[in-house]
Amino acid sequence: MIEQVSSLVRGELKEKDIFPAMGYSDSIPEQSVVDMVRQVCEDAYSICRLRFMYDIFDAEVLSKRDIKIGNTVFAPGGIITSYLPGMTSACLFVATAGTEYNEYIYKFKKNGDILTEFVADSVGSVLAEIAVSRIIPELEKQFPDLQHTLPYSPGYCAWNVAQQKLLFSMFPENPCGIHLTDSCLMFPEKSVSGFMAIGKELIPQPYRCEICNNLKCYKNRSKKA
Amino acid sequence: MYNYSELYQAILKGNLNLAKTEVTKAIENGCAADEIINSCMVEAMGEIGAQFEAGKAFVPNLLLSARAMKGALEILQPQMQKENTKLLGTVVIGTVRGDLHDIGKNLVASMLEGSGFKVLNLGSDVPADKFIETAKENNAEIICLSALLTTTMGYMQEIVNAVKEAGIKAKVMIGGAPVTQQFADKIGADGYSDNANAAVTLAKKLVSAC
Repeated sequence: MIEQVSSLVRGELKEKDIFPAMGYSDSIPEQSVVDMVRQVCEDAYSICRLRFMYDIFDAEVLSKRDIKIGNTVFAPGGIITSYLPGMTSACLFVATAGTEYNEYIYKFKKNGDILTEFVADSVGSVLAEIAVSRIIPELEKQFPDLQHTLPYSPGYCAWNVAQQKLLFSMFPENPCGIHLTDSCLMFPEKSVSGFMAIGKELIPQPYRCEICNNLKCYKNRSKKA
Repeated sequence: MYNYSELYQAILKGNLNLAKTEVTKAIENGCAADEIINSCMVEAMGEIGAQFEAGKAFVPNLLLSARAMKGALEILQPQMQKENTKLLGTVVIGTVRGDLHDIGKNLVASMLEGSGFKVLNLGSDVPADKFIETAKENNAEIICLSALLTTTMGYMQEIVNAVKEAGIKAKVMIGGAPVTQQFADKIGADGYSDNANAAVTLAKKLVSAC
């Protein structure tokens, strides 16, 4: 089990990632909102402690919907599983923007500052993705001759979020300070869990939402719009 | 005679301080709370909602408007009590269990509040029993459910069933990005809306049916 804690490196938070997270797909927010985003980013650089933990397990595709990671059978469903032929191992991970950043968001919520809360929440989503991205160079160093997929997470692409319980059972209690609620939500909220498939014959696929055809999903609706 | 255009613009543009100043002016000019809310503030929120639907405004604009409206309503509160402004009804609102997304739900809550409903906002990740318990305690006319994820919208069915089993009068209305009228019909919800403005119209209709 590998665990790392690290600070955010200046320049890692990019407005081109943050603005779409706030709903600005092709446009730039007005200056007052841009200023607020920049202030939240400054704060994040000083307070955020990114954490991740991962482990590598043997893995295989069992059926069109099921896979086995270590000794545990997961049911990520047809969308994700269809992109896993060639998987021989999997990197199971959790990553988080950390409790410090969660407290930072909560401060705005408590004060009823809904706008800054929204901006901090959007930046937090980007921070959680940065925490996940820190794992990828580690994998590439460890398996230089193998391919790996991007991360797949319970709750996305119709993978039932209840399978978080199975995933977390493969980690020590509260990995990286993350705990699961009874309803399988992660706290700190800005956390990501999931797996990246590894294998020589794997064909790398686009990011999660690009491979999903679930027309009910808000991400696909916004793509259509 | 007070001219509502400044207050309307203050809410539309999300200018909190100006909204507070203008609503104070309106009260000083003898305008009734009902009139201030319905002739101006709800209209302004409706306009920003329409601009959002048309892709001409974004979530921060909605939030700024909601904040300005809330600030103005706080100033209006004593006036509403003095005039005994009748509430349209009581709404219990929350994002369902398993889902933390609450921005859209909060906007609907603000709109309902601004339109004259008493709103009890339970936050996010709310289980069925919490909705029912709060609705019972407050004799609510409406339970309003929100979900953003396709993996959590299914829980709405459990809540609708639980409300029916509990035998309370509250009507259930649902909303959220993955939800449709078809889904609402399928799970037996009393109503569905796809935006905050429509949610207010629907809530008024459901209350009159209670």
